[in-house]
Amino acid sequence: MSPNTLRAWERRFGYPKPQRSPGKHRLYTHGEVAALRDALQEGLSISSAISRAREALRADTHILVGSLNSFELDRADAAMEAALALRSVERSVEEVLLPSLVELGERHGYDSAPWAFAARWAGDWLQRAQRLAPPPTRSVSVLVGNASPDDLEIDALYMRALELFLSRAGTKVLTLPISGISGLGDLLTAFRPDAVVVAGSHDADDDVARWAYRVRAVAGALPITLFHRSTRSERVRTTGARLLADSPGEAHRELLAVIESGGRMDAPSPALDLAETHVLVPRRRVS
Amino acid sequence: MSARGLLRVVPQQPDQYVDEVRFCGYCGHPDHADDASARICGDCGLGVILSAPAVVAPKPGHPAIVLDHTLSVCALSKGAEKLLGITEPEAVNRHISELFVPAHAEARSLDSLVSAVVSAARGDVPVERIVVRPTGEFGVRYAVRISTCGPPRAALLVLDDDEV
Repeated sequence: MSPNTLRAWERRFGYPKPQRSPGKHRLYTHGEVAALRDALQEGLSISSAISRAREALRADTHILVGSLNSFELDRADAAMEAALALRSVERSVEEVLLPSLVELGERHGYDSAPWAFAARWAGDWLQRAQRLAPPPTRSVSVLVGNASPDDLEIDALYMRALELFLSRAGTKVLTLPISGISGLGDLLTAFRPDAVVVAGSHDADDDVARWAYRVRAVAGALPITLFHRSTRSERVRTTGARLLADSPGEAHRELLAVIESGGRMDAPSPALDLAETHVLVPRRRVS
Repeated sequence: MSARGLLRVVPQQPDQYVDEVRFCGYCGHPDHADDASARICGDCGLGVILSAPAVVAPKPGHPAIVLDHTLSVCALSKGAEKLLGITEPEAVNRHISELFVPAHAEARSLDSLVSAVVSAARGDVPVERIVVRPTGEFGVRYAVRISTCGPPRAALLVLDDDEV
């Protein structure tokens, strides 16, 4: 099969979906290519083969959902191992782990015991994966403001995924709770972040604004971005904060692009204007 | 033991051999590749190479549809995409009745189309002709040639150029 054929399929069918190397070369996962090869042996068209290949890849999600649903941690770990055999860590998280957690949350409710069990496992898995990430290779630091109350929030899992992706991209990542302002100055002087991400939608806008103001007062006019933070009320627009994509993979690419462009941001969309207002306008100054 | 030859029952041979041609299920171009095991069309890269009786195989650009034994759409040629206003990825896995119903005045039900397609997908029918109309539309009818194609075995529907 020629490279042109694969590119034509990517344009027409959106599959296989390659990642890009630093040199912009397409990187195909073995799992996608193997699933497609097997499907083509018995397929009557490229479309039906791709449909079958996609279904084969979705099997990992079904297995993970089933394992967590029956409270079998070993099987859940094995399902992720199987996913990693066919995909990169990033794609395993985005295509298997997070969709499985969302499915479980929607099925049982985000305040249920099965959800808490699954979310705890997923948080542990993401932290384990982060510990295995290579040491930072870029001279880039990102400060993440955690606006989630605990690790059982779905937003917190997305934030952990973003941390993992940034770490694997060679970035130094430091996550702090939005509620902790005391002693922030010394820490930021030592850490010297290049960008700030406010992740999660639980903490009040006032608290987020106070924290962001404090960060900027110490570290200067850093680009501030929002991840999985919904807007609540309208305020006065000030400087540019950018709403990152919901997908952690897309969000980490956007964030690195912002940092590489020296903090310059594209013109925000109208929806973004509203989001900006929540972070950067404190109601009262903090000493 | 007698040296006399024994009579054996042998399977019935077909009355005539059917010429088969290889063609791309998407663009319809005949496949002349030396490698008979190649499955992807070398011309367009968007179709799988199929075999079918020469009298049925579509010519380049002709509308053709491939269905499996469950009557689900497996492939749609470029000509069929244009004719039906639907892309192949959108059509795949949809039931044939979402696209066509029989239009023979004497046909009593969907059975005529269903039985023809199922028979063809099993390889039972060399070539059958039937008249269909797009589902939900009246006044437009197409003559369809139905036969077996593959591999794997499936039913090939080729819509003739002119409306009936």
